[in-house]
Amino acid sequence: MPYTIDNRPADVRESLYFPEIFQAIGLVVKTFWRNAFFSRDPNPDILERDRTHNRVATVQYPEEKVPYPIGYRGLHRLVPRADGSPRCVACYMCATACPAQCIYIEAGEVEGDPIEKYPVKFVIDELRCVVCGFCVEACPKDAIRMDTGEHPTATYTREGQIYDEKRLLRGPPVSYEKDPWLVRPSRLTDAALAADRAAARPFSSLGADEYSQTPGFSSRTLAAEAKGRSGA
Amino acid sequence: MAEEIKPAAAPPKPAGPPGPPPPKNPGMVTFTIDGREAVVKPGTNLIEAAASVGVGIPYYCWHKRLSIAANCRMCLVEMSNAPGGKLMPACQMAAAEGVAVKTDSPKVKSQQKATLEFLLLNHPVDCPICDQSGECKLQDFYMKYDTQASRYDQPKVKLGKRVPLGKLVVLDQERCILCTRCVRFLREVRQNPQLGVDARGSHSVITTAPGLPLDDRYSGNVVDLCPVGALTSTDFRFRGRVWFLSSARSLCTGCARGCNVFLDYMRDGTYRYRPRENEQVNREWICDEGRLSYKHFNDDRVLSAKGGRAAAVAEAARVLSAHAGQGTLAWIASPTASLEDLLAAALVARDGLKLSEVYVGGRPDGWQDDFLRRADQNPNRAGLAMVARAFGMAVKPASELAAAVASGKVKAIWAVGAELPAPELADALARAEVRVVQAVNEGALASAATVLLPASPAPESDGTFVNFEGRAQRFELAYWPRGESLPHWGLAGEIGRVLGLTSRWSSAREVFEDLGRRVADQLPGYAWASLPSVDRRKGIEPLPAGTTDGRLPGHRERMPLDANGNVEWSRLPNP
Repeated sequence: MPYTIDNRPADVRESLYFPEIFQAIGLVVKTFWRNAFFSRDPNPDILERDRTHNRVATVQYPEEKVPYPIGYRGLHRLVPRADGSPRCVACYMCATACPAQCIYIEAGEVEGDPIEKYPVKFVIDELRCVVCGFCVEACPKDAIRMDTGEHPTATYTREGQIYDEKRLLRGPPVSYEKDPWLVRPSRLTDAALAADRAAARPFSSLGADEYSQTPGFSSRTLAAEAKGRSGA
Repeated sequence: MAEEIKPAAAPPKPAGPPGPPPPKNPGMVTFTIDGREAVVKPGTNLIEAAASVGVGIPYYCWHKRLSIAANCRMCLVEMSNAPGGKLMPACQMAAAEGVAVKTDSPKVKSQQKATLEFLLLNHPVDCPICDQSGECKLQDFYMKYDTQASRYDQPKVKLGKRVPLGKLVVLDQERCILCTRCVRFLREVRQNPQLGVDARGSHSVITTAPGLPLDDRYSGNVVDLCPVGALTSTDFRFRGRVWFLSSARSLCTGCARGCNVFLDYMRDGTYRYRPRENEQVNREWICDEGRLSYKHFNDDRVLSAKGGRAAAVAEAARVLSAHAGQGTLAWIASPTASLEDLLAAALVARDGLKLSEVYVGGRPDGWQDDFLRRADQNPNRAGLAMVARAFGMAVKPASELAAAVASGKVKAIWAVGAELPAPELADALARAEVRVVQAVNEGALASAATVLLPASPAPESDGTFVNFEGRAQRFELAYWPRGESLPHWGLAGEIGRVLGLTSRWSSAREVFEDLGRRVADQLPGYAWASLPSVDRRKGIEPLPAGTTDGRLPGHRERMPLDANGNVEWSRLPNP
């Protein structure tokens, strides 16, 4: 709601200036001592901070990171299966859809898995990426997501911004009920298969809201993890 | 009064239906299809007749070089003479006089939709891992005629996903729509019925006889024939997506037949051959060995010359000219080089190096059959003979050169192409003092060279091959020469320039325009622009810039790039 500006003429107290000036100086001094002698709540979620004593809103980036809102298109990740292998089947849909042509894939054949194809190389040049999210939309297997809640970190070299499949494959695993390795003979052990089947959920044909499809997964948790990593 | 009984008079002959009207175009069949009038030869198949007036009828199982199976039911159309208004398979019906055919009526549309729904009922829809996606008729027709979600909520029939039929062919039984094109190809074209349909109903699968592989020497054609992704090639499997590939009209260099092919390439790499239709040469087939013969374009290439190409060319010209005119120099030409290569090299050999005979190298003979394959594994032996005749050069076999080198008569050789018919010849030729070799690939002669010049193979230049029948066929440039390499005509031209010849060519076309008239009497009716214009396909072009990690930098279509990846404008024919 736009706030209205009251254009009334100044009253006598205000036209004297000095009471207002002293009041403002008092507020500054009070806040200064308050922030100087009480410790700041370091919660990276600013809106959740305890502001009764210390009211500093500054975030000590990069030690503290503000969690981005749901839907923020962060650093890519390759979504793993329960056994740690990527869901990706190297179909090149993301590379085809990518307007910046920043995705490079080399496909290979894998034995003992109902998905015959997997990415031998999956490289994203984050410098070239325009963060449009088309790769996520194009993926028919929910194998690439931008739900990490991070953005690419600064590096001294260009090579540091080139993420290969080892750096991209992370985050919580995802399975769907109709995933081929759950409905066809695969290399999984019976126990792993049962656990994976129990965790599987129906594939939403809408598929747009990948965040809601992973219970317990939050970008805030990831931000906290990142904070823990940077603190260590 | 009793009625007089008269003997029944013979009833007048009933008028009966009027006879068919005389044909509108005598000798031809005239009928209408979707309101358009088509005039075709009697007996023409409806699919072909419709195509002649620009009406497309979808089909899977029909193929003009195979017998008619009419089992896919995709080509059903409405015909005015069909009994009871039934839909008729267009592939099986001949065009008939005065018939009205409808291919876009609601009845036909709903039938096409229903047919596709049935074909896709048990189809796994695993397009992400299917090599056919992008050139798949199921995808195309689904988008054109169906576009509805599956209404089938039962588990799909599970069959073999990865059945190796032979060395070159992998079968995915779930993707198969049982059009039996592969079965009919092997039975009818090859008369080697190695594939058949086994089991019944939705469990039917294409299979070989138990324990026997699909080892026909033309088995790769079933991959091209397969309208869906059921049969895929082990060679091309998972190597790339077809929409990234561009196609150039090229020729197979595996033997003297010169089968017409599409050469599918991305950046400066050849990915596969697909046969291109030519009724006179290969119809639309190609042998397995020819299909794999592109590999040497990519692998084991000689890409750089010692000290840079310019220095190597100057050195080659210097050492060759020292022996020129003294009878101690000989040149050996490989019939794997194109006509333009050989014309340019012969000009340099005759005018620059004062040579009057040519020794013929080339690959050794292979197997031959009565279908396509020729024993001569060189694509241009007839062209070499023509060039020798045009330049008045005697043609001699490579073995005589080896004998001349051994006897000390020949001290210097210039090899245009390093292929040799027998491996021991390389050792014999290596005894010459001076060995200037223009080689495409690493090999015995290339490693024995004193001056090695990097040459480029067929896809890196335009050119002409003359096949064993004397038929000259053009192939076109797919991508620019890799590394420092140049086609043989380019290397010969550079050597000739150092030797003081005035001819300068910047493209194979200029070589042909300059020197082609010398062989014009031997190639009646052949013109440079004779390459029939058929669908050249451009793939998605990746960006021109590269990155530092060695991944695909992309390329600008048909632009020569220097070592730094920048466009080298000076190498373009018309900058």
